[in-house]
Amino acid sequence: MLRANDNFVPRAGTRVAYSTLVSFALLTIAVLVGTMIGPAGPQWWRVPIELINRLPLISVDSGVSDADWNIVMQIRMPRVVLAVLVGAMLSVAGASYQGVFRNPLVDPYLLGVAAGAGLGATLVFTLRRSATENWLIDPLPLAAFAGGLIAVFATYMIGSAFSKARSTATLVLAGIAVTSLTTAVQTFVLQRNNDVVRQVYSWILGRLSSATWGDVRLVLPYVVFSCGILLMHRRLLDVLRVGDDEATALGVNIRRVRLTVVLAATLGTAAAVAVSGLIGFVGIIVPHTVRLIVGSSYRRVLPLSILCGAIFLVLADIPSRVLADPAETPIGVVTAFFGAPFFLILLRVRKNQV
Amino acid sequence: MKMKVLSRAGFAGLFVCAATLFAACSETSSSTDTTVAVETTVSEVAYPVTAGGITLEAQPMRIVSLSPTHTEMLYAIGAGGQVVAVDEYSNFPAEAVALGTKLSGYEPNVESIAGYEPDLVVISYDPGNLVEQLSALDIAVYIGNGASSLEQAYEQIEQLGALTGHLDVAVQLTSQMQADIDAVVLASSASATAMGEPITYFYELDNTYYTVTSNSFVGQIFKLFGLENIADGVEEGNDYPQLSSEVIVSSNPTMIYLADTKCCAQTPETVSVREGWQKMDAVVNKNIVQLDDDIASRWGPRVVELVKSISDALALVAPSK
Amino acid sequence: MSTLGFCDLTISYDGDSAVSSFNNLVNSGEWLCLIGPNGAGKSSVLRAVAGLVKYSGSVAIDQNEIPATSAKWRAQNIAYVPQTPLIPEDMTVYEYVLLGRNPHIKHFASETKQDVDVIEKVMTRLDLTRFAHRMVGTLSGGERQRLVIARALAQEAPVLLLDEPTAALDIGHQQQALELVDVLRRERGLTVVSAMHDLTLAGLYADRLVLMHQGVCVASGSAQSVLRSETLAEFYGVSARVHHEPDGTVVVIPQRSTSN
Repeated sequence: MLRANDNFVPRAGTRVAYSTLVSFALLTIAVLVGTMIGPAGPQWWRVPIELINRLPLISVDSGVSDADWNIVMQIRMPRVVLAVLVGAMLSVAGASYQGVFRNPLVDPYLLGVAAGAGLGATLVFTLRRSATENWLIDPLPLAAFAGGLIAVFATYMIGSAFSKARSTATLVLAGIAVTSLTTAVQTFVLQRNNDVVRQVYSWILGRLSSATWGDVRLVLPYVVFSCGILLMHRRLLDVLRVGDDEATALGVNIRRVRLTVVLAATLGTAAAVAVSGLIGFVGIIVPHTVRLIVGSSYRRVLPLSILCGAIFLVLADIPSRVLADPAETPIGVVTAFFGAPFFLILLRVRKNQV
Repeated sequence: MKMKVLSRAGFAGLFVCAATLFAACSETSSSTDTTVAVETTVSEVAYPVTAGGITLEAQPMRIVSLSPTHTEMLYAIGAGGQVVAVDEYSNFPAEAVALGTKLSGYEPNVESIAGYEPDLVVISYDPGNLVEQLSALDIAVYIGNGASSLEQAYEQIEQLGALTGHLDVAVQLTSQMQADIDAVVLASSASATAMGEPITYFYELDNTYYTVTSNSFVGQIFKLFGLENIADGVEEGNDYPQLSSEVIVSSNPTMIYLADTKCCAQTPETVSVREGWQKMDAVVNKNIVQLDDDIASRWGPRVVELVKSISDALALVAPSK
Repeated sequence: MSTLGFCDLTISYDGDSAVSSFNNLVNSGEWLCLIGPNGAGKSSVLRAVAGLVKYSGSVAIDQNEIPATSAKWRAQNIAYVPQTPLIPEDMTVYEYVLLGRNPHIKHFASETKQDVDVIEKVMTRLDLTRFAHRMVGTLSGGERQRLVIARALAQEAPVLLLDEPTAALDIGHQQQALELVDVLRRERGLTVVSAMHDLTLAGLYADRLVLMHQGVCVASGSAQSVLRSETLAEFYGVSARVHHEPDGTVVVIPQRSTSN
């Protein structure tokens, strides 16, 4: 007879371990490459040498000036680190939402985070002209964060007011309603404050170009907390795959799980959006690509989404700062460029399945 | 995003400038007794200098300007030789264009900016964390927000003058600008009072009829001439409202100023074929004035040309009786 | 081995009564089959036990009333096989059976060796081992039925609920599935409650039948006593003969009207 762990610890287990290891390695390489490439600063091959030089007890002459190294550490590094955090967060949030709503086309902005954050940012840009220039705390990320959370809260309230079952379909519809209303208000405000349109548009396209270590510190606790909660729920998301009824019959408190997952994902997404604007496509492209490689089980998709999302955004940020040198290409544009061919490939792959 | 705008240090600088300005305005010869030892030669400027909220330890020789208005200011006060890079919209003067740099003021690439090793960066607004990022690299940043009055424009010119070591030239420039504007306005009002009733105008920002009220910088210049803006009072609290075609036509302004000749290719011909506009006084009497978009939207030294354009146009206005 | 007791079970949807005052006691190891026309309330009773609909009255296992709030307790004691289980395309057979262990795995934890053992045994018993890494979407109807039963068994619950277990199967697989349930029931001492349309099969396998009509229990007892042609005519509106085989099997044979 078969031994207990011979056939039943799934064969895919080794594939997952392998994928995780490869992903870690790729992430390290991506971060290194991200640190090396930029429109100014030291020559790219000197950067790793200087990194080695900065290790304790090692001293190597890399020929990098202090000013150049300052560019790397103060401008480029926070950007790369922020890309890691935001990319990871958006991917795992997207994957989690796909698990909760049992719909592969869902992204973390579904319930209104994006629209709410956008409105918050618009209001700050509008008011900033007169009132807030001397505030101690930068109101922009605060308003975006608050706006995103309030919008999702509103979605939940509306969803539960109209349906006792609080089913996923109701939530989605409520999300659409909230998004539409918020966007309409935003458009109205912009129309009356034409001079900030450019700033708002620029914010909406998403950017990592303004990343500072302060931004990293701001986002880090939310991302870590959120990813932690989501990872804890990955087995439960798998149970949800058989539908609400069967999952309940299998002992899952679906409302509580759904609420917790949505809350954690929204918190992290709102924080990411607050500092980097609305970067689209990451929450869809990455989880799907991960599924193509390791299958649909959320126990694998969630952790790998974190790693692969980080890799994706770090790499996407490189053309963002180099392509239109000396200007920036908003990173939302870069990810969108990846988005279209991605979906075509997905169509192609799915065509060969059922 | 915590920029110390013009406030305290600005006032200090202004006080210094005001003292010299006062002395310079009163006589045609160069001033002798001032509270700051400002020489006319460049080589003996007193550093460190504090102005516009920042302090520079030495004369900046590698200035990067991301604001077209301030590019014009820098070149006008004689600091052009110290400018190494400008943004893509700095299209005046020709020396700035000749630098061949095309940085972005809206989506700044901080690394690219830092690549020029600047010791002073001049911007007109912070798109997000720019000041913080440049400060992390120990690069001084001067922020000159959009001026809301001529006084603020002069103040910025003089602050830049102090910072770049050309305060005397800057002060001379502002007093010259002031004198020129005053003279033009004076001459114009002589002819304007002969008209009788106040002259109204519509200022067109773009071809979707966005306009400005007389609270805006441009609007205040028009106010110097006693011109009345049809957009005033239309939308409370909004100085850049969008008017509908009906409102403009029914207000029937005496003059129409086009500030969208470059961006949106508007000319008196295109205006006169607009639906319902044919019978407007301004169209019938051909009082449609084409302004240069750039000159009309900046608050630098070429403001004087704007004033002259308005004055010239006014002189041609036939009484609309 | 657990008894399942219904006391005044009443279910209504939006004010419409679906089940009224259903009372019954299913003994340990007994197989009770609910029969009745469409809309009689059979599925509603099962769903109520599984905790999927609100009800008044009580349902008790071994005289312990099922707590309304603990889905986990319920899942540890009741295994529910729905009429059309949702089979996700891209899940492996192993992962699907693993779902059945959910009530026994700590909330955020992973499965333990013990869980893996249970799964292995269940899959071996139901001859699914060779499919362990196949996607469930590739299984045939009969194999899927075994799969769903495997998941239910993995729950190791003393009560098994089957809603129309033979609905989508051919006659051969119908027999296989029901034989399997019967054997497992005796092996493990399961208490089984099923809802079925096929009256002959219901009579063949169940210990006791309960005929429901418009939410009310109208007949209860052995197949011989419940399956009578006048009873069927009254409640099903069917014209049928009831034939008793020598070994006691009751066969229901629908009749065509002779005027033709």
